[in-house]
Amino acid sequence: MPRKLLSFMIAVLVCAAFLPAQFRKEDIKVHKLDNGLKSLFLEDHDIPNVALYTFFRVGSRNERPGLTGVSHFIEHMMFNGTKKFGPGEFDRRMEFAGGSNNAFTSDDMTGYTDWFPAAALESMIEMEADRIQGLIFDAEVLESERGVVASERRMSVENNNDAILAENVRATAIMAHPYHWDVIGWMSDILSWKRDEVMAYYKTYYAPNNAVLILVGDFDGAKALELIKKYYSGIPAGPPPPAVATVEPPQQGPKSVVVRKPAQTPSFNMVFHAPSVSSPDFYAVEILDFVLLSGESSRLYKRLVRDEQLAITVYGGVQDSIDPLLFAISAKPRPETDLDRLEAVILEEIEKVKKEGITEKEYQKAQNNVRSGFYFGLQSISGKANQIGQAEILYGSYEALFTEMDRYAAVKREEVQEAAKTYLTENNKTVGKLIPEGGQK
Amino acid sequence: MRRSAKIALVLVLAVVVGAAVARAATKLPAPEKLVLKNGITVYYLKSADLPLVSFRMWIRGAGTANEPAALDGAASLTADLLMKGTAKMDADAVAEAVDFMGARLDITAGDEYASVSGESLAERFPRVMEIAADCLMNPAFKEDEFAKERKTRLDNIKAVKDNPGAAIRSYFVKAYYGGHPLGHLANGTETSLNKITLADIKSFYQKTYRPERGIAAVVGNMEKAALLDLLNATISQWKAAGAGSPIVALPALPKHAGRRLILVDKPDATQAYWILGASGYPLGDKITPRASVMNTLFGGRFTSWLSTELRIKRGLTYGAGSNFQTWKAGGIFMANSYTKNDKIGEMLDIVFELLSKARKEGFAAEEIESARNYMLGQFPPTLETNSSKATAYVRLAFHNLGFDYYDKYLAGIQAVTGQLAKDAAAVLLPESNFVLVVVGKAADIKKQLEKYGTWIEKKITDPDF
Repeated sequence: MPRKLLSFMIAVLVCAAFLPAQFRKEDIKVHKLDNGLKSLFLEDHDIPNVALYTFFRVGSRNERPGLTGVSHFIEHMMFNGTKKFGPGEFDRRMEFAGGSNNAFTSDDMTGYTDWFPAAALESMIEMEADRIQGLIFDAEVLESERGVVASERRMSVENNNDAILAENVRATAIMAHPYHWDVIGWMSDILSWKRDEVMAYYKTYYAPNNAVLILVGDFDGAKALELIKKYYSGIPAGPPPPAVATVEPPQQGPKSVVVRKPAQTPSFNMVFHAPSVSSPDFYAVEILDFVLLSGESSRLYKRLVRDEQLAITVYGGVQDSIDPLLFAISAKPRPETDLDRLEAVILEEIEKVKKEGITEKEYQKAQNNVRSGFYFGLQSISGKANQIGQAEILYGSYEALFTEMDRYAAVKREEVQEAAKTYLTENNKTVGKLIPEGGQK
Repeated sequence: MRRSAKIALVLVLAVVVGAAVARAATKLPAPEKLVLKNGITVYYLKSADLPLVSFRMWIRGAGTANEPAALDGAASLTADLLMKGTAKMDADAVAEAVDFMGARLDITAGDEYASVSGESLAERFPRVMEIAADCLMNPAFKEDEFAKERKTRLDNIKAVKDNPGAAIRSYFVKAYYGGHPLGHLANGTETSLNKITLADIKSFYQKTYRPERGIAAVVGNMEKAALLDLLNATISQWKAAGAGSPIVALPALPKHAGRRLILVDKPDATQAYWILGASGYPLGDKITPRASVMNTLFGGRFTSWLSTELRIKRGLTYGAGSNFQTWKAGGIFMANSYTKNDKIGEMLDIVFELLSKARKEGFAAEEIESARNYMLGQFPPTLETNSSKATAYVRLAFHNLGFDYYDKYLAGIQAVTGQLAKDAAAVLLPESNFVLVVVGKAADIKKQLEKYGTWIEKKITDPDF
């Protein structure tokens, strides 16, 4: 590995050290293999490193009862051995070559994010390609990893009251669609996934035609393409994974859920069904999110945290999602806060938007935040790779990134008020309260 | 920033000379030094890749370790209140102005300094600096804003105690540092917050927030002439009133002889969390590269011993790791993880075995090589953004480490051998002198913990930490 790549490094340094590192659509090169694998390249020679991101179109929305959390479990198993590289080899080889990685699973996608010195490119591409279909799911390793995920659930949900409540609220608000459960899955499913079911799921969704690969950083495009062809083109395409057929029926009346457990502070959550990214209403709802929840000057922060001191903090908003998900308002109430009062104040603020709309200044503030947020996201090779990958999975193409600001600008101020009237309604609402045991009513 | 040809040459030579594996390397570009008339030093670097500018300023001696004894939270309250109203703008106006621009502006308390961080689109940056300067120079320190901030912190302590993974950090700080200034909790304690008055805050501000103590950096898409005009109109106008308090160097860190064991009972916890701490080494000590390589292998990365034995092989936990923290006055080694209640004894036994094994046997040659490659390979992204460069300038200047510090550090990493890493483990990994804090359901875990010694027990519902 080392000597072979040395000449490559010198070449890069000499030819490319002075190329500008701006972010332009025409600098992103798209390649597609016969097996359906799409790869997107952006050369950026600021630092001698590469970000290699692989996104699969699979997340908890593709799961079913009994197999909840399995998308995330496979994300973990992706590091646990193939026929070619045994359990743990991926990380050992990667770290030996100076690389590190992480991975994530969301409702809609699974992403593998590798960061490594330019010299490790071939090794990383080889290992990423190998694990698309080569996982062995060693039975003993699988049991150990099951314990890791159970610990992750204990940490992120069971020992975190806000997360316990959020999980309850999501499951109450969403009745039919697989967004009903959290990405981590139910504990009983975690403890009982069967090896053959897990493998069948992996086989269904891990195929080159269900993936997109993003390469940003210090590499030579022609050479990288050769490597991708070398390691990926022999991997057969799979049948197209089944579409998610279930559509969440409209909610026809307010819902509520109460959780009682030992705690020193309550938790509070209010959600409304929201549009997906493909809905024309999505951007108006995003602007509503800025107005109500973004920053200390937002309406809810100002009213709940500063003026009336009902909450320690308030956060939430709408999530970019393939199918309609939720607009969430999560507050951390103060120990003595009357949760009914908290709820009433949030509803008052929502009513105000419905009646009076948002101000020109609020509208402009949202637009300004979209613009600065776009550039904040491009400050590193990993930020760029992430933006490109998210756009591919959620918006169908990386090109959507370059029209993002236009799409927000196309929303008329009045449409934000209309969106509030359409989505933030009584019948569309679910309220959750976590009440400390022995404490509040 | 793009590398210059000179740096490229250095890199190639390093690769040729150094080695077995081609490594990534990067260099912190040399900034221009500007000294304002009121004593603030500003390091400037133009970076035109994106239409963004970042600003950082550290103010020496305005951190949590500099606040009066027993007034935990005073430095952090002061920093927060600076953003909560000035002579010209009230708190809402400040928040509105910053949010409107899609900018970021924050003032926080570090341990030996307060930190001002701003970041925005280049076209908005002048306004960000005006607001930052106004907040620093003309704070209103209104009684009602003080009361709100204090109340929020008091309430937040209860919220933190509902989350064992978050609460344990505060319990550990108190258990390890005790009355040492590094034992001050930025968020305060019930006792300290009830003691602090607005007069304390005003006094802390007057004595510690002073321009001659400021070290700043601006990195981004801005010309020097425009920056100088902007600095002259803003932070260069800052004059402090009265006399400042002397900056007292931190006393030596506490040394723990024997075991100090603290068990915090949280009856609804389904997982037990622990942090172990022991003496480390001081900032800038020559052991730094050896200790860093050793820690990378012991608990500093995914394939580290801790992560391999506790997570990868046994599935006991989602996360396990260790690290060193350093100050001029000394340093600390910390390791931490968590597991379900009935496994805590098994987990801690493994941790002590691993500590012992590292001290006695050290690491294989291949591991050392892997750790070196990993540290060199992962270094460049740490200086990639405007903000990370600005922070590096301020940090290196604050500690007087020189802007070639990272070059020396990376060269030092390359020179670490197995023997040197083993020596570092033998000196730094604890055997019998340490502090161990566990937060969990005492009824389920107490029996498993008895073998380690006598535990001081606390309840999570008791005030303070």
